[in-house]
Amino acid sequence: MTSAIGMNELLAAALDAAMSSGASYADVRGVEIRAESLGVKGPAVESLERFDSLGFGVRALVDGAWGYACSAELDAAEAVSTARVAVEIARASATVMTAPIELVPEPVHRDSWMGPTEHDPFAVTLEDKLELLTSATAGMQVSPKIRTTRATMDLLSQTTWFVSSEGSSIDQSFVQSAAGIEAVAVDGSEVQQRSYPGSFRGHFASGGYEVIAEMDLVANAEQTAEEAVALLTAPLCPQTVTSVVLDGHQTMLQVHESVGHPTELDRVLGMEAAFAGTSFVGIPDLGSLRYGSEVVNINSDATISGGLGSYGYDDEGVAAQRVDLVKGGILVGFQTSRETAAKIGAQRSNGTMRAEGWENFPLIRMPNVNLLPGSGSFEDLLADVDDGIYMATNKSWSIDDKRLNFQFGCEVAWEIKHGKLRRMLKDPRYTGITPVFWGYCDAIAGPEEWKVWGTPNCGKGQPGQTMRVGHGTSPARFRNVSTGVSS
Amino acid sequence: MSSGEPPLSVEAARRAAQAVLDTPGADGVEVLVSASAAGVTRFANSQIIQNIARKEVRAYVRVAVGDRVASAGTNQLDAEHMGSAATRALEAVRATRGDADWPGFARPDKDGRAEPVGRWDAATAAASPARRAEAVSQILRASDSNNAAGIYETSSYAFGVFSSAGIDCFDAYTRCAIACLVDNGESTGWGDSSSHAMGEVDVEAAAHRAAEKAEASKSPHSAAPGTYEVVLEPAATGAIIEYLSYAGFGAKQVLEHESFLARHTGEEVGAPSVSILDDVWHPQSVGIGFDFEGVPRKRVAVIERGRATGPVSDLRTARQMGVEATGHGSGSNELGPFAANVVLEAGDKSLEELIGGVSRGFLVTRFHYVNILDRPATLLTGMTRDGTFAVTDGAITGAVHNFRFAQNVLSALASVQGVGRDLVSLAPEYGGFGSTVAPALHLGEFDFVSTTSH
Ligand SMILES: [Zn+2]
Repeated sequence: MTSAIGMNELLAAALDAAMSSGASYADVRGVEIRAESLGVKGPAVESLERFDSLGFGVRALVDGAWGYACSAELDAAEAVSTARVAVEIARASATVMTAPIELVPEPVHRDSWMGPTEHDPFAVTLEDKLELLTSATAGMQVSPKIRTTRATMDLLSQTTWFVSSEGSSIDQSFVQSAAGIEAVAVDGSEVQQRSYPGSFRGHFASGGYEVIAEMDLVANAEQTAEEAVALLTAPLCPQTVTSVVLDGHQTMLQVHESVGHPTELDRVLGMEAAFAGTSFVGIPDLGSLRYGSEVVNINSDATISGGLGSYGYDDEGVAAQRVDLVKGGILVGFQTSRETAAKIGAQRSNGTMRAEGWENFPLIRMPNVNLLPGSGSFEDLLADVDDGIYMATNKSWSIDDKRLNFQFGCEVAWEIKHGKLRRMLKDPRYTGITPVFWGYCDAIAGPEEWKVWGTPNCGKGQPGQTMRVGHGTSPARFRNVSTGVSS
Repeated sequence: MSSGEPPLSVEAARRAAQAVLDTPGADGVEVLVSASAAGVTRFANSQIIQNIARKEVRAYVRVAVGDRVASAGTNQLDAEHMGSAATRALEAVRATRGDADWPGFARPDKDGRAEPVGRWDAATAAASPARRAEAVSQILRASDSNNAAGIYETSSYAFGVFSSAGIDCFDAYTRCAIACLVDNGESTGWGDSSSHAMGEVDVEAAAHRAAEKAEASKSPHSAAPGTYEVVLEPAATGAIIEYLSYAGFGAKQVLEHESFLARHTGEEVGAPSVSILDDVWHPQSVGIGFDFEGVPRKRVAVIERGRATGPVSDLRTARQMGVEATGHGSGSNELGPFAANVVLEAGDKSLEELIGGVSRGFLVTRFHYVNILDRPATLLTGMTRDGTFAVTDGAITGAVHNFRFAQNVLSALASVQGVGRDLVSLAPEYGGFGSTVAPALHLGEFDFVSTTSH
């Protein structure tokens, strides 16, 4: 903070102005972000970008309706005028209202929370970071067919200050680190890619440079590139109905799209209908809908360490919680907010409201939505497959507006014959209907295979907000899956 | 709340840049300034649920020393923060390595001076929350539904690029967009409208269309997946060409062999009635007259009368390809140049005539969640939503459940039977930069691969 006025005084001034202008409830959130992003292509530095952001937003409830305004000008007069704009907007909202918004109660919190960081990634020199990335791209030059090699690193440090008219005052800070490598092989019209540890800029987690060191990018470079080359001549993943084992990375995407989003209560209530869509799940389904087989247990848990959705409090000051969403295959919970919890008669929000930066209105966002581990090793999953396909590393995704009909693609697959991996297959894709697909889940690997993955690019809301979301998964097995795709 | 002025004045943008253009130790400095003031009112279940005013400003300072380059950004435009951004960029430059493909910053003598497009409407920029709420009331009345959802947006944007090499350009635009989904409990319907000027956005017509589509979508039956003729309404055409652009209109994707243009430039890839351009100067486009390097944004035909003609470029890729830059720098070397104002040129048929030409197929209102399956092959997948109808012998015969498609876009464009005469301006799907301008299309072949129960 380098401004003339401290963040705490600024937040207090905005909160006072909102309440004295007629709000029945208000909260004010200040956010400071520091980000660094490095990209290396082959031996060259393709991008080296740093970005800092600082500002605040005021959310006001007036006559039962919301208004939100924000500013990056950090002075007392701006705090007051921004709060008044939020109130003016809320008054306008209240003119088009059928039912006033009610908020379920939340205890007052006065607290500080900090995520784990062993090794501050911003203290590591740029030279060292670039050296790591260029060593990794050099390690991927295994063949003239390797057309592009890329290594990336993304670092984020965020501090949030929150005050509410109910008396809560919370500050929290965390650091998140990410890195990954990618090799693209080309032969004529055939283009294939492999990534490590995951696609779309690698693996993201809460924590410092230790997260990146653990990946050992350089040691994995050669195999990543060799698989990209091997894919060029691999046979096409067949169009069939068969047993499929998904790796942890693809299982993350499967959980995200087909369980995480449909159990967001704002979607269930139709609040995202026009844009992101709704959900095949309805309120009366709670406690009765068979979402998957008995081995399927999924929770929403912001309290675990190391996920992109690990925090102390959400962006409306509700303490982080662990909530079961699917238990023994039955739908038992939703991800909620103070507003939506009131609409279904729940006693308390389960704390999943988050906003991107200071600029945005908080929405229900997945914290860490986790597929709980079963038992046994990855090899045990394969052992019970006589004839099937193992797919790894997400490449594409698409799902309908009720989150039922999905089609997902992976970077690579291998045939499974008599319990063992055999030939590599290219362009693996599979399709299904959400509860049918999860109904055919018959095994999930155990805690030793379980890992908290992260996706930094979950989109929702208008204006669009990009959120960082975590998913703990281990590889999982599904029967009767339709693979391949025509055309 | 807003006076109708741009969210940042040219003077303020230039002043912020000038604080760092002479940074000691740098051979060259470029500053990209962007600002926005978004007013977005969202409604669902026929009431306003979220309503925001979002002002933001960003400055990105790009510093070069020889052929070493790095950038640092801030959202505070005072001289102190700008100076600190320049210092951090310079630190990063010292740590980085030489870049053999560094083209240098844009130069007005070589790359030209940009003119503003001027898609500015003061009334849109000045629209108050009360005005937006009134528009939502109008939408709800016109939709005649107790379950409508959507947005009404009035936003303004400003961009400037300033450099030590003499680039000094600034442009601003406004956008008004409405989207309306009507859910009658059994089926849904959709209507939208978008323009740089709120006076040109007909909220009632969009709401009526949504209500009519929802009504017509009642009692859908399940049709078998397969290859069919389709008529895509403009919103559906727009999604396909937006993703085609994303999949392969940029020179970087060509250089990396990931674009269809790498193998097909000069070849016939579409029917002769198909011309796709990037053209911010089209009267229905919404955007600015230069790219994020300050190079004038040119009109570029990517597919001209069915023939693939070439990609859009930025300074880096133009240098690599030995051509003149087209002014499509995205500000990111990783993303590469980007066609943000795609236009599919109009044909001569009304929507009714296009439907009339279908012997057995479907009419698609819009798509949902389109994504790329195979970039070089232009293979996309996605779902239909909010109004999919069976067409037999030129007439709509009823609603059907939604389909998933998996379609090679070039094959679809090669099968074009007719192009609509009415162009519609579409706001980018995820609220990003630019616009898409598209007509309805009659395609001879489109692959629906599965269906759903709604
Ligand atoms: Zn998502």
